[in-house]
Amino acid sequence: MKLLGYVQQPSLDATFAALADPTRRAILARLASGEASVTDIAQPFAMTQPAISKHLKVLERAGLISRGRDAQRRPRRLEAAPLKDVADWVENYRQFWTESLDRLDDYLHQLQMKEKKRAHTQRRK
Amino acid sequence: MPTPNAASDASTKPVEREVVITRIFDAPRPLVFKMWTEPKHLTQWWGPKSFTNSACEVDARVGGKWRIVMRAPNGEEYPGGGVYREIVEPERLVFTNNAIDKDGNTILEGLTTVTFVEAGRQTKLTLQTRAVAVVPYAAAYLAGMQAGWTQSLERLAEHLARG
Repeated sequence: MKLLGYVQQPSLDATFAALADPTRRAILARLASGEASVTDIAQPFAMTQPAISKHLKVLERAGLISRGRDAQRRPRRLEAAPLKDVADWVENYRQFWTESLDRLDDYLHQLQMKEKKRAHTQRRK
Repeated sequence: MPTPNAASDASTKPVEREVVITRIFDAPRPLVFKMWTEPKHLTQWWGPKSFTNSACEVDARVGGKWRIVMRAPNGEEYPGGGVYREIVEPERLVFTNNAIDKDGNTILEGLTTVTFVEAGRQTKLTLQTRAVAVVPYAAAYLAGMQAGWTQSLERLAEHLARG
């Protein structure tokens, strides 16, 4: 089994651990309105720049942000793909199970109806 | 269907990574449980509306594998499978639940827990599937599957219109 692409992907656990922190969610919210330098990102927070950099590293490792090309500013930007993938995944499974369980309900009715009919015919024999 | 905006989801609410569904079935618990572990039953209901299942193998033991091949109305096949982690008949079933592409690569990886609780003569089933991993091209796979559904609904509508 080829798992190359799969191994390179940051794990969902890393992605969700990154999202669990309110400061990191606030950083993502800031980046949702456009890329920003580390100084700009740190500005609204009562935190030292190294503390912010640590949060940015966690977000980067989780695949939620990336660095822009400008070598001076190294602006960070949001990578929405991992979140969209998870949202799609969850929605897909919700639909899958809803329809499967509808079918299971119908099938159970049919089965029990058949069973009742069979028992009834046998009693009459 | 509107595409969820992942960026604003990230900032306003925690992103969900699991699906939880509860259903009451009008059938005794041992029967409902059996529907999940016997291929002859599983193939009758597994999958979206108007999909069929062309193959199904189940080794219902802890560590045993299961495999099913779903077929969309347009003929496209969607294999899936996984491994049983817990089997407590007729109460609880835990298994990995993966979508696999044509080359055997895992595309989506999930962990599903199903619990069966007696409620008089009925059975309350609670199902939880948690996303474990998603690979980058999962979106394309999901889009294909969505197309399979839409097509079947369109066909049904045509069929009804013809009377």
